[in-house]
Amino acid sequence: MRRVHYAMCALLALTWTAPLVAQQPTGTIRGRITDNSTQQPITGATVTVGSRTALTSNEGRYTISGVPAGSDLLRARMIGYVQVSQPVMVAGGDTVTVDLALTAQAVGLSAIVVTGYGAQRAGDITGAVTQVSDSQFNTGRIIAPALLIQSKIPGVQVVDNNEPGGGLSIRIRGATSVTADNEPMYVIDGLPVGTGAGGGLSVSGRDPLNTINPEEIETITVLRDASSAAIYGANAANGVVLIQTKRGHRGAPQFEYTGSVSSSVIDRRPDMLNAAQFRTAVQAYAPVNVPQLGNASTNWFDLVTQTGMGADHNLVVSGVGDASNWRLSLGYLNQDGIVVGTTTKRTTFGLNYGQRLFKDRFELTGSVKFAHADYRFTPGGVVGNAAQMGPTQPVFDTASGTGYYEWSGGIQSPDNPVAILALGTDRGTNVRSIGNVHGQYSVPFLEGLRLHVNLGYDQSRADRESFSPSVMHSEQKSGYLGEFSRSNDEQTNQVLETYLNYTAPPGVIPGNVDVTAGYSYQKEHGEYPFIYERSLTTDLLGTNGIPGAGTVQNRLFVEDYKLISFFGRLNYNYADRFIASVSVRRDGSSRFGPDNAWGNFPAVSLAWRVSQESFLRNLGWLSDLKLRVSRATTGNQAFGNYLWAATYALGDDQTRAQFGNEFVTTLRPTGVDPNISWEETRTTNGGFDLGLFSQRVSGTVDFYSKKTSGLIFRIPAPAGSLSSAITTNIGSMSNTGFELSLDSKILEARARKLAWTVTLTASHNTNKLTSINAYAGSAQAQQILTGGIAGGVGSTIQVFIPGQPINSFFVYQQKYDASGKPIYNADPLQMYVDRNNDGVINVDDRRPFHDPAPKWVFGMSNYVTVGHLDFGFVLRAYTGNWVYNNVASSQGAYSEVTRGSPYNLHASVLKTGFLTQQLLSDYYVEDASFLRMDNITVGYALTYHRQPMRIFGAVQSAFTLTGYSGVDPTSGLNGIDNNRYPRSRTFTGGLSLQF
Amino acid sequence: MAFLFLTVGACTDTLVQPKSTISEGNVFADVGSYKKFLAKIYAGLAVTGQQGGAGQPDIDPAVFPDEGFSNYVRLLWNLNELPTDEAAVAWGGDLSIQELNTALWAANNAFVKGMYYRVYFQVALANEFLRQSEDAKLAERGQNDPGFRAEIAQYRAEARFLRALSYWHGLDFFGNIPLVTGPLITPPQQATKQEIFDYIVSELNAIMNDLPPHNASTYGRANKWAAHMLLANVYLNAQVYTGQEHWSDGMAEVTAVINSNDYSLAPVWRNNFLADNNTSPEIIFPVPSDGKNTQAYGNTTFLIHAACGGSMSPTVYGLAAGGCWWGNRLKPEAYNNYDGANDTARTSFFVVTGQVPMPNLTNFTDGVAAPKFANVTSTGAPGSDGTFPDTDFPMFRLADAYLMYVELNLRGGGGDATTALNYLNAIRQRGYGNTNGNFAQLPPLDSILAERGRELLWEAHRRVDLIRFGKFTGNTYVWSWKGGPQAGTSLDVKYNLYPLPESELSANPNLHQNPGY
Repeated sequence: MRRVHYAMCALLALTWTAPLVAQQPTGTIRGRITDNSTQQPITGATVTVGSRTALTSNEGRYTISGVPAGSDLLRARMIGYVQVSQPVMVAGGDTVTVDLALTAQAVGLSAIVVTGYGAQRAGDITGAVTQVSDSQFNTGRIIAPALLIQSKIPGVQVVDNNEPGGGLSIRIRGATSVTADNEPMYVIDGLPVGTGAGGGLSVSGRDPLNTINPEEIETITVLRDASSAAIYGANAANGVVLIQTKRGHRGAPQFEYTGSVSSSVIDRRPDMLNAAQFRTAVQAYAPVNVPQLGNASTNWFDLVTQTGMGADHNLVVSGVGDASNWRLSLGYLNQDGIVVGTTTKRTTFGLNYGQRLFKDRFELTGSVKFAHADYRFTPGGVVGNAAQMGPTQPVFDTASGTGYYEWSGGIQSPDNPVAILALGTDRGTNVRSIGNVHGQYSVPFLEGLRLHVNLGYDQSRADRESFSPSVMHSEQKSGYLGEFSRSNDEQTNQVLETYLNYTAPPGVIPGNVDVTAGYSYQKEHGEYPFIYERSLTTDLLGTNGIPGAGTVQNRLFVEDYKLISFFGRLNYNYADRFIASVSVRRDGSSRFGPDNAWGNFPAVSLAWRVSQESFLRNLGWLSDLKLRVSRATTGNQAFGNYLWAATYALGDDQTRAQFGNEFVTTLRPTGVDPNISWEETRTTNGGFDLGLFSQRVSGTVDFYSKKTSGLIFRIPAPAGSLSSAITTNIGSMSNTGFELSLDSKILEARARKLAWTVTLTASHNTNKLTSINAYAGSAQAQQILTGGIAGGVGSTIQVFIPGQPINSFFVYQQKYDASGKPIYNADPLQMYVDRNNDGVINVDDRRPFHDPAPKWVFGMSNYVTVGHLDFGFVLRAYTGNWVYNNVASSQGAYSEVTRGSPYNLHASVLKTGFLTQQLLSDYYVEDASFLRMDNITVGYALTYHRQPMRIFGAVQSAFTLTGYSGVDPTSGLNGIDNNRYPRSRTFTGGLSLQF
Repeated sequence: MAFLFLTVGACTDTLVQPKSTISEGNVFADVGSYKKFLAKIYAGLAVTGQQGGAGQPDIDPAVFPDEGFSNYVRLLWNLNELPTDEAAVAWGGDLSIQELNTALWAANNAFVKGMYYRVYFQVALANEFLRQSEDAKLAERGQNDPGFRAEIAQYRAEARFLRALSYWHGLDFFGNIPLVTGPLITPPQQATKQEIFDYIVSELNAIMNDLPPHNASTYGRANKWAAHMLLANVYLNAQVYTGQEHWSDGMAEVTAVINSNDYSLAPVWRNNFLADNNTSPEIIFPVPSDGKNTQAYGNTTFLIHAACGGSMSPTVYGLAAGGCWWGNRLKPEAYNNYDGANDTARTSFFVVTGQVPMPNLTNFTDGVAAPKFANVTSTGAPGSDGTFPDTDFPMFRLADAYLMYVELNLRGGGGDATTALNYLNAIRQRGYGNTNGNFAQLPPLDSILAERGRELLWEAHRRVDLIRFGKFTGNTYVWSWKGGPQAGTSLDVKYNLYPLPESELSANPNLHQNPGY
């Protein structure tokens, strides 16, 4: 109640006591508030004397004028610190200096957390926001930033594709969309970088954020709930990831070097038959093919995989002046994949600069990042053909044109993967530069008002070229006889943002008020030229020229996009007890139809810090208990440009219609929904933050419900529509879930120098597609097949069907015999359950059966220090994620050896005895729950020539426990294991130096 | 700062027009666009999208997952041949294609769905073309040149022909279907078979005289005789569609085609199915394929590649080295329907790669290969491309008209019995190479069904013929794998119609499923 009293006093002082004040002699108190252990200034601390109050500036300074002469008590308080009071004596007309040092009590609460268009103390946050700083990041071979936070944040799933530098996906609280992108929005040093997985361009299969050097990142903040993210409006439905890079600061070393080398080995390979087993199978099931068999015993996987070596070097120079700071970094990485031919080479450069001007009223920060990545890809089909190629066959054949052995079975035969590696070319380059200048001006005439201007750019270029000479087996059997393609994509994204921020000086109204209002203008221009030709007149030019060709298909797309926004937010904090935040964003996007150009995205969140109430305040062990609730609407507009525009597509020269002796180019109209607009997600979030024993144990629990409506779907259009399907806002989907995170300093470093911190995260998500029907009265619920698989043309294994999670597997129910073996029989009724009892097994007997998304995701991070030694490990577990083993289903049938040339078989055939492929059997849908030791790190800190130094070693993917039979239960999001890039176990050793 | 606020005020316009595509607003400013649009409706039969081979598909992957399979002629062929006594496909894992071999398709069968959407893709294109080329629209655009207007009138007739053709296929496969003749505003009502039948008849009669003439410069386009031929087909099967026979109407149409004397039987039967079949005097309405200019994984690309497999050499058929797809073979009944020793022109290309019976549907060497179509010319030269043949698909040809004449005469549609016998013997004589196979007098109707099977094998007529003769369902005629078992069994009458795709029932609440599904 005391705080209310203070506030009331402040209010009274403002109203009727104010005139009296002028009649008394007054003085001024000024000073600086610091953290007594770090000596760093504390910003935003509340300093009170009598009825006068001030907040400390960025440098921790405060000034209170008009203090009535006499002696009084000066109080300084800051969330997460022990409140301090000190008696002061002020004489009329005097200025007294009082510096105070506060002792941290619950440090976590006072940490500055980056939020959209601002920053807040952790303790003031009303939404579900988690910040991970560099000391907690994952270590080892990490090329793109998202892997730094894998398993660190509840509800945040980071999925990789196993290639070095391969594309990463982040799912925050499940997928909200089917057609639009599900990746979160990224904001890098305050600059929004566009929609999709990190904005910008990437070479397909590699991550666009490879262009951000992970070594340069200071914090990654994830805005998980909609109320925190809603300030980013139409881009916020998938959550927002804020990346802050390191800046020069006092106490930082002038030079830093960090370097590491790594070695990766293959973790698991698909279980194929060996030469003897293969020969037996061919003899038994395709005697006609026996003459084709050779006498070799070739392990094709050994020939196409390798130990992937890597090296990473980073050099940083930084400095701090009186009013400026700067940091310059250089990075170089060279990493080979575990499949021959995969390489990522990257050079990065970063410059951060900060300058204060006009008596610190103007603060300028600038940032430029540049990266050049050189990628080599394992040409398509190497992994798949290594699984298909007969182990009895030799690698070389001096009699063949290429010197490599190839089967004779034409289109019905796999390709020699070693020959593909030797003859094919597939490589790309990605160049990207991101930069911005941010100015902040504290307006002199109104204390607490700041004007921000943020100007930024994101320019990227992605090139890709591939070449398959006509002599390749695949080119011969397809009749393409040589293919060449090249794309040179360029994209520029420009951002201008201006916003005002007003922090009301204390005492004006009860509590603290912080208001932000602004405008944002973003435009993007992209040019996407593409050359493709086949039936080349010569192989001699390789990728360096464009020879004549039988078929030439060239394309150019030029695209523009605009996003214009107004936004505002009000944060209110009443005595650290009641905290509220209200925001709204109004977005106008060129992707919405012209009649739907503008959308509004409001948010409100409330928090009650119960631990500040008198009935709990005296519980010494309870350092924090905050109840939170929020509700917000966010949008998703990460879909293609111009979906609203009715256009005509020109056919190319190979799709012309014959009119007599003339071939006429075609023009095709495209049916569109001109009213297309954003997908809208309404989220309700409730949770609490709990801190015990001065935050030695702290935890966060959240429950959420996300309902997405206006889901953009490509759905079949009724007969008579201009196109067979139309992209429109039609569906709805829900995600509900629970998240828990628990931090515990089990041992704290004191005299024994032993410290042990554990972070546990757990999250549960349930996804359900609610509706995709255009008309309520339809006789049938719409179902849309998805999830293409290998093994047959156009085969799919998944479905979108209302009432089920998205991407549910859609399969026949396999029957098993008494011994548990799946039944094979020429009569399908003996093999599968006739679900609709019509006496026929056909596709109407499929049923939805599990889905690829994990139901529970667990993470556990451990940090231990013993003197100079540090040690950490990260465990991750998923349950309820199901995977379709497509290698087993497509190659687990004896019919595969009866082809023109026999294909190698998956060892599952030894168990099932399937004579023909049973692609749609639920036998191949497997529970891929797992427990993995993601990371083990050991480091040792020492002093060398009086400079600090640390040496470290790490193992990634140390082991995985799973019942899944394929190569990897995790890679990819779609749950279809079709000759994936295998997972590697990576060993890294390195050191960091300061001088 | 002032500059920034000016920027703020000026920049609330979010509109960005597409640049690299042609917009609806300006496409017809170019008078050449009408012809290109019409070309697309024709190309809708031959190719699958806007990119050679595959790419930018016409039928959306959300509806049909594989572009190559989505070709009009390929679907037409699969639906009219695979469930009959003529053909079976060996592919096991490809969508739900095995369901067609036995005629036990599911309501969700992908190929049934694909055909439905192909039919309505054509209908919608034609509707839009007709809307964009109305007199009022042309006047609005200032396109008033009389010569141009005459050309447009011809194009409009062709668009209406193509729409009627697809409505015939829609009627034949699906029965009661929506009749959409203008732009779609709301989901349309379901029309009766009678309404669709009447519409096709009235449309064809209305356009007959506006279609282009028959000459070399209009090859590939629909002329008057194609319209008569289409009308003849609709009348021939009228009893199936409406319960009302139109034998004499059919006879009138088919007689008009024959008596035009614009067509004659190609002296060599096989030349109708080779890479230079555009020179055949017999073909009334082709779906052209061209190795360089008209490429897709449907049409004759499918017919030629899929018929090759086992020990067959693809180069013999004008295909690249890996060109066999190991797909289609004859069911034993079709093979045994021939007098193989004597009917040489129509059987000499058959290849027994394994055995005649088909104990295993997914084994290509069970059943006889029938590479009737080939990408080599009548002189034996390969086509212009090893993947995409130059061979055109004969949708209507004179021999079919002859056999229709014979059948209609036997059914009481009029005409002259001697002429009918002559037509029948002309066809037999061309097959046998002599008169040994000739009939002395008109045989009974069932022999005409058998003759149609021999003459028009794998030309996508078989299911229609079997239904007209009452033999597709039931047990009066049972062939291998009919209704499930290898020996064949009775087939439920519901299979005379394909089911409406379930996706269409979901998208249009006005529709009712065909009985039994």
